[in-house]
Amino acid sequence: MKFQKISVALFLAGKSIQRGNRFTFILTVTIMALVFVNLVFLPSIISGVVVNFNTQSIDYSFGNLIIEPREKQVVITNVYSLKRKLDQIPEVIGSSPRTQIGATYRYKDNTQSGPLIALSPKSDMEVTKIGTKVKEGYFLEDTDTDSIVLGTTLTGNQDSRLDKSDSLGGPQVGERISVTFSNGVTRDLVVKGILDSGVYNVDLAGYVTTREMEQVLGVKDEASSILVKMRENGKEEYYKNLLMQYGVQEKVRTYKEKAGGFVNDAVTAFEIINTISTGVSLVIATVVTFIVIFINTVNKRRQIGILKAIGINKRVIVYSYVLQVLVIATCGTILGLALAGLLVMYLNINPLIFPGGAVYPVVEPGPFIRSTISLYLVSIISGFIPSYNTANEPILEAIRGPA
Amino acid sequence: MINATDISRVYRMGLVEVHALSGVSFDIGKGEFVGIVGASGSGKSTLLHILGLLDLPTSGFLSINGIDVSAMNDDERTEFRLNNLGYVFQDYALVQELTVLENVSLPAMMRGTPRDEYLHKSEELLNQVGLIHRMHHRQYELSGGEQQRVAIARSLINSPTLLFADEPCANLDTKSSRNILELFQKLNAELSQTIIMVTHEEWHEAYMCRVLVLTDGKVADQRACKR
Ligand SMILES: Nc1ncnc2c1ncn2[C@@H]1O[C@H](COP(=O)(O)OP(=O)(O)OP(=O)(O)O)[C@@H](O)[C@H]1O
Ligand SMILES: [Mg+2]
Repeated sequence: MKFQKISVALFLAGKSIQRGNRFTFILTVTIMALVFVNLVFLPSIISGVVVNFNTQSIDYSFGNLIIEPREKQVVITNVYSLKRKLDQIPEVIGSSPRTQIGATYRYKDNTQSGPLIALSPKSDMEVTKIGTKVKEGYFLEDTDTDSIVLGTTLTGNQDSRLDKSDSLGGPQVGERISVTFSNGVTRDLVVKGILDSGVYNVDLAGYVTTREMEQVLGVKDEASSILVKMRENGKEEYYKNLLMQYGVQEKVRTYKEKAGGFVNDAVTAFEIINTISTGVSLVIATVVTFIVIFINTVNKRRQIGILKAIGINKRVIVYSYVLQVLVIATCGTILGLALAGLLVMYLNINPLIFPGGAVYPVVEPGPFIRSTISLYLVSIISGFIPSYNTANEPILEAIRGPA
Repeated sequence: MINATDISRVYRMGLVEVHALSGVSFDIGKGEFVGIVGASGSGKSTLLHILGLLDLPTSGFLSINGIDVSAMNDDERTEFRLNNLGYVFQDYALVQELTVLENVSLPAMMRGTPRDEYLHKSEELLNQVGLIHRMHHRQYELSGGEQQRVAIARSLINSPTLLFADEPCANLDTKSSRNILELFQKLNAELSQTIIMVTHEEWHEAYMCRVLVLTDGKVADQRACKR
């Protein structure tokens, strides 16, 4: 008897899909697909933003950890021995002492203030990726003096309308600009390369070698920070403790702490938006799916009454509607997957440009699974309720009643 | 076979009560071909619905085959309809999404009859009602009379012990009507098929054993027919 019930339910569901209203079917499937895309899309962009922020911060701005001067000190002293100590820790991939000061840049009639960062290119390449993002000319080498690499935003264009913010008006590689260091010393430096990392703060600075900075400032073995690249991303809290266990007495901060307020707030805000938007989408998805399927099933009231009148068990009737709805949900999910896939593909080719750089959608299984499950659940419920209600109605009312 | 005692059916619409049936009692024995006649609105369909377990009486007692059907639950009634009753609705009540053949076969399918068997039987019945050439058509492609004949074929597919027909010839010309009545009479004579049929055509009575006359929801008269 069990088998018969299922086979009659399958038969009825199949005929209903085959011969029912094509337009309604396509409409329902399309709506479910769009609902699916809606449920999946924003989370993937927001994950993209978060991932982007994290990797950009690590790869271009801070490394995993940043070592800063001890309490009440302005600079890190004994940098060479501290670096040696760091590099001996097995989990440390590389460390890059940097000195950052404020400087004034001058090119032709344009004057700009901005950060000037001194680094040892060889060490820095072990930590950050800025050395790979030189779009014109070359990156610095350890022995360079008299040279500067400029961030592209600071460099700007001869046509100021193309600039993202105030700039030097487009000095070319090989030209000289004059740089006034924080101690008042001015030097004319040759632009060796132009850096385009896509990260706003990185492209806003100028870069010289540690050797250059030491000559100008007359200091040695000092740094304002040391960026440290660790073996794995995401374990910064653990690494921070590890460094302290190895006897690092300077302040150790994770890139998240360093990025601090602004970006963390942005990530938190995005996560809140994501949660709210997912919640709202789910509710809309539920309501829309429910309405479409519900109306569709309610329209079958007379049919359901007739089936019952000729002796079709009401469970069979309900199964047949749930089966139909499962087919619709499956088609909707597949179409939704396809649409979402196309959208993700498109955005991988044409990423969204955020201040932190290009954002690629990050497809995580979570939202997909959640969306699929919710679509199915909602469909089953919205197929079940009206068919169950009608199948339990007095037969004659179902057959004769409105719709 | 059927024992109906003091059956009443009251429709309540707000404050208004419609007494569609008031205290109807009768017995129908196995193998009888009984007609129910009466003016429009006299309660014929209401009575047939109750006998066909499609509706519940407001009060009264009904037993079929010695079973107190008023004690059955919804599922048991559905099962009982499937296995024991055939019903031809006044408005045919075909399943829209199915073809003629599928409509006729569905109750047999539900009963678990082997496919070959029910297909054969369906075709045979469609042949008898003169619709074999339309078996792959859908309801909307058929005339009223054709739909009525499909409904008749469907009602017979599970060889019901009781056949109910609500004006099964309402939309048929005299020739087709005669055809259906002869089919009923043949089933009645050869297989002792019990048939209860609502009609308002006097000449139909020639095919029946007995007629119940309903007036304002009451059995006003019963007469044996001359066959
Ligand atoms: N669902 C309903 N709600 C209210 N009143 C109803 C309902 N169904 C039937 N009636 C009333 O019950 C009475 C009997 O109706 P019924 O359909 O049984 O008549 P009938 O003898 O079959 O008439 P006809 O020959 O026109 O088919 C009528 O007065 C009708 O208006
Ligand atoms: Mg009637």
